[in-house]
Amino acid sequence: MFSRILYPFDMRKASLNVKPYILKLKEAGCREVHILYVLLPSEWGLLAKEEYDSKEKIEALRGALDEGYVDALLRRFEKMKELAEEFESKGIKARVLMIPGELDEVIAEYAEKNGIELVALGITSESLSFFRVGKLLDVIKAVDKPILIVKTPEEEGDEEV
Amino acid sequence: MPLFEKTLYATDFSPLAEVALDYVKKLKEAGEKEVVIVHVVDDLSVELPEGADLLKEKELYKVLPEVDQEYVMSIIERLEAVKDILEENGLSAKIFLRYGNIPEQIVSVAREEKVKLIVMGAHGKGLLTEILLGSVSTDVIRKADCPVLIVKKREE
Ligand SMILES: Nc1ncnc2c1ncn2[C@@H]1O[C@H](COP(=O)(O)OP(=O)(O)OP(=O)(O)O)[C@@H](O)[C@H]1O
Ligand SMILES: [Mg+2]
Repeated sequence: MFSRILYPFDMRKASLNVKPYILKLKEAGCREVHILYVLLPSEWGLLAKEEYDSKEKIEALRGALDEGYVDALLRRFEKMKELAEEFESKGIKARVLMIPGELDEVIAEYAEKNGIELVALGITSESLSFFRVGKLLDVIKAVDKPILIVKTPEEEGDEEV
Repeated sequence: MPLFEKTLYATDFSPLAEVALDYVKKLKEAGEKEVVIVHVVDDLSVELPEGADLLKEKELYKVLPEVDQEYVMSIIERLEAVKDILEENGLSAKIFLRYGNIPEQIVSVAREEKVKLIVMGAHGKGLLTEILLGSVSTDVIRKADCPVLIVKKREE
């Protein structure tokens, strides 16, 4: 029921607060976590719709994207890698990747294709950042799997980690 | 960390709420000890005060017309049946039957009981079969202060 968890991560405190729940779910069978950053079209323009799951693939975007953007992506990727290591050290296999597209579509499609059993979302109370209320509800509607929603009070939740 | 120690299970006795019960049982492996089972009634033939406790306030019960009394009795039986199932699974459980606004009552029991997680279906008994997210789940997501686990269709 919880063996493969999708963890959409947006670099905010609110999404980091989901981590202890996933770690705890290891006791109820979590074996694998997929840490996913969705590259929103509004931020990055049009990118080829593939899975950017290595530094090399992100490096290859230089030329297509502004240098500063690519550097920022690499920093985020590093941060996600650190998170992945933490899961690995606790015995949960972790995959890190970035996919361009709309939040709801990317998450729903990835969950469907990869045998995900639970999607774990961290949001701020007012959801003013990544997962705005409307957007969050779209994600929940689009996804076919159980969804764990962990809220963080607004003041802290929007901080970048 | 006691992240799942005490949970709230909201049920309208629909098939999807029953699927949600499987998750409630499963969470025992992640440290769950106690489950608060909640049902809210909003469709009696007389108006009762918001938040009225239909288990404890016996006088209220007496003012209800007979059809309502029977209806409430049948719900209590169903709640007791869920409680039995959870206890058979080694969890401690208690039931709540409230009158009023459904999501508001679910959230307020969650607060009073200081639960760590609410478990519920994405939809329920509503007549629109194609609905993806019911009004009760939507409102609980908006208003709850604790994490919420929304269960979708049964796993194949
Ligand atoms: N009266 C209730 N008491 C307790 N929990 C409820 C009640 N009604 C719904 N729920 C919980 O909320 C979940 C979603 O049900 P919801 O009522 O939101 O969907 P719906 O009935 O399909 O749509 P709507 O009621 O908006 O027409 C249910 O699976 C159940 O867990
Ligand atoms: Mg309903």
